[in-house]
Amino acid sequence: MRVKEVNWSNKGLLSATGPLTIMLLLFFLIPFFMTVVLSFQSTQYYRLQWTWDLDIWKEVFSEYFIWRIMWRTLTMSALCVVLCVVISLPIAYALINRMKSMENNVKILIVFAFLADAVLKTFGWVLVLDKSGVMNGFLAWIGLPEIDILFSPTATMIGMVYNLVPYTIFTIYLSMDRIDRDLVRAAYDAGASRFRTFWEVTLPLSKPGIFAGAILVFVLSLGVFLEPKVMGGGTRPMAAELIRQSFETRVNWPLGAALTLVVIAIGAITLAIAGKIAARTSAANATLAQEDSK
Amino acid sequence: MIADRFERRLVDAILYGSVLAILVFFYIPIITLVVFSFTESRFLTYPIESYSTKWYFELIADKDFLPALGNSALLAVTTCILATALGTAGAIAWIRLQFRFKRVFQIISFAPLLFPQLLLGVVMLLWFSVLGNWLEFSPSLWTAAIGHIIYITPFALVIVAVQVVGFDDTLEDAARDLGASDIEVLKEVTLPLLWPGIMSAAIFAFLLSWGNFYLTYSLSGTARTLPTYVFSGIAVGSSPIYPALATLTFVPSLLLVGFADFYRRKLAKRKTV
Repeated sequence: MRVKEVNWSNKGLLSATGPLTIMLLLFFLIPFFMTVVLSFQSTQYYRLQWTWDLDIWKEVFSEYFIWRIMWRTLTMSALCVVLCVVISLPIAYALINRMKSMENNVKILIVFAFLADAVLKTFGWVLVLDKSGVMNGFLAWIGLPEIDILFSPTATMIGMVYNLVPYTIFTIYLSMDRIDRDLVRAAYDAGASRFRTFWEVTLPLSKPGIFAGAILVFVLSLGVFLEPKVMGGGTRPMAAELIRQSFETRVNWPLGAALTLVVIAIGAITLAIAGKIAARTSAANATLAQEDSK
Repeated sequence: MIADRFERRLVDAILYGSVLAILVFFYIPIITLVVFSFTESRFLTYPIESYSTKWYFELIADKDFLPALGNSALLAVTTCILATALGTAGAIAWIRLQFRFKRVFQIISFAPLLFPQLLLGVVMLLWFSVLGNWLEFSPSLWTAAIGHIIYITPFALVIVAVQVVGFDDTLEDAARDLGASDIEVLKEVTLPLLWPGIMSAAIFAFLLSWGNFYLTYSLSGTARTLPTYVFSGIAVGSSPIYPALATLTFVPSLLLVGFADFYRRKLAKRKTV
């Protein structure tokens, strides 16, 4: 595949990028800048006032309950990322190295479950976890005491992992699939155990996929709304619920805009730090490889 | 030697076990919904005493159901066509062309994917409210369609881009040597060769839009699609019509996913022959 160098006056380039750029400019970038502008205004009696001051930002940074909810969102998201990665690693590995004939069928089953309507799946979990639901029916059948976890943070986490784990499975699968099998065989020949080979060869080489998946899951879980509401019972709201409430119930648009920006900033900062770490580790690996070759 | 055999057994157990466990985990709520859709009782509790199909008829009789179904279909078809077209064009620019500000184009065309969906919806709703004040419209199905297109186009772009990477561009030269015009090359060579990627991008786009809750919820105003219809229903109280609805919507998406795979396999076979 050759990459063609073209000028902005090229008709092909304009028709390839033009519509998408205009669309994104009109309905993504402008709204984003408007949100920034809006966060410097204020409201009075449910009406927007063009005041151009920092009142809303002062409110955001001084309210204790806002930061409690932000902290909860952050910890829940971090836990969700860890769980998703840990769950996905053996599955991606098994899909590539163990499931020769079944690989495609398993992949289709996962894709279908991923693409089915999220609201309905979340509702399905409510039926499973309900006090008189399927799970407790099953537990009673095998003679165990019933557990009541619906409308708790545990249930929220189950829902979040359920809806987000396909992302890490896909990204880790894609990056593991590219690993040269000979490297793994060489490690076996050198006498490394299977666990050691996984730890020292497969895992470092699947880092790009782990990183990409972790970032995607983290960003998406910062904005979850369905799971805390439907499975968590709405008693421990997360950032998205707070933002929705400031827009709808309190009709305080500047506050909602400012909170939206806070969440986006948290996501962007995490992204930047992750990028830095990724760049540094790959640079360190490169110098290490150079010293080895000397 | 014994330790090695033990280790191999252990690894196999972990690997096969984890795949089995994830499939069970993924299908617990889905199968539960399908089973509960055939309950006779009004209440969704386990065990189910007797079975019937009456909730399917109740669902169809519900006056909000058919409009929601129509809206979902309209939204998904519109999004599917436009997001796939924009994504395909974008993918060609991403992979095949080098131009000034390419990096900027790449970042902004990918940014919506890294936005939490609800926030993307909220930010766009603010803009549509302002525009609506000026131009006198209120959020409805087509504002939701714009939201879906913005969010789903990056997905389509990535899927098509994978196909573009493996594209053999000497075939285009051959067509040009034989006297084909640019448009003819695009129509007769480029697009047919990219077709598998475009096809799976379209199916993905359709299903992502069909099941999208967050953006529709923020942007569609009073118009309801199936996900928001279900959400407003279960917020009030659960009823067996929702499992019935779930079962009805799982069938077409299962068929689509199966069809996509069948199509891909057929193409793979043709390549090896």
